[in-house]
Amino acid sequence: MSELDRALAQIGVIREQIARESRFHGLGPTAFAATGLLALMAAIGQALWLPAPSRHPGIFLGLWIGVAAVSAGVIGLEMIARSRRLHSDLADEMIGAAISQFLPSAAAGALITLTLIRFAPASLWMAPGLWQICFSLGVFASSRFLPRAMPLVGVWYLASGLATLSIAQGPFAFSPWSMGIGYGVGQGLVCGILRFMEPSDA
Amino acid sequence: MPEAAPFAYEGLDRVIHERARLGLLTSLAAHPKGLVFADLRRLCGLTDGNLSRHLAVLQSAGLVEVTKGFAKNRPQTLCRITREGRQRFLDYLAVLDGVVRDAAAAAKTTPGENPVPGLATA
Repeated sequence: MSELDRALAQIGVIREQIARESRFHGLGPTAFAATGLLALMAAIGQALWLPAPSRHPGIFLGLWIGVAAVSAGVIGLEMIARSRRLHSDLADEMIGAAISQFLPSAAAGALITLTLIRFAPASLWMAPGLWQICFSLGVFASSRFLPRAMPLVGVWYLASGLATLSIAQGPFAFSPWSMGIGYGVGQGLVCGILRFMEPSDA
Repeated sequence: MPEAAPFAYEGLDRVIHERARLGLLTSLAAHPKGLVFADLRRLCGLTDGNLSRHLAVLQSAGLVEVTKGFAKNRPQTLCRITREGRQRFLDYLAVLDGVVRDAAAAAKTTPGENPVPGLATA
């Protein structure tokens, strides 16, 4: 590595340090409201068209993994747009820091799902509760750089994940409301916090 | 102006473009809640006199605010980067990044020559 490359790397490190200590304004209420509604609509759709989800866990997983993918896309697009507008100088570093804080728990959720599918399909009923617990850990990890009330969202997801593990088993396994209520209310809570506790133009 | 004189680098703020002050602003930018005088002195490897002098320059330029108070009944001097200081520091970093990239591009076109006087090549 040449001196010039080293100098560029050092400038990058300084920018990353500043980004890591800065409040992140890239999350917008619109995307969270939309994803909360999407979760509720998916739950209603499942209740209507998949009356016996325990017999079709693959469809249940496909539906909710699809909802998660669409939600991540919607939130990601809004995050990029807002960050470019509000963090113009540090947008890339801020987005990188935000993703790096949340990614480990999202990856853990994905790997738990793959492990259950591959090695313990009889325990797949636990996936919805474990997803919400992983999600709560991601929220806690990121909340230092988000509005002060954001840990409440982590508490909600942790509580709903534990409740789902306790209730959504046996005849209630793969219930649409195990996901619909948890994510619908949780995303609505994020939307409310961002809407009412975060300055709109930071 | 940038097209007429692409290597003018007018954004290289003279107040910031000094090794000790660059270190001070980097430390303070990474700690937006501020640093006490002793911690800042340790992080930047400065003496009390040097630190006071450079802080005074940054303070008079509006880049840093210095608050004297008490913590646990002991006097404490807290130094914080201002909003303007943070923005000017980020602008400075952007220009500095451009300078180094220009130098790297020049080094590629003239291999073997040192594109930036005073900066050793590998």
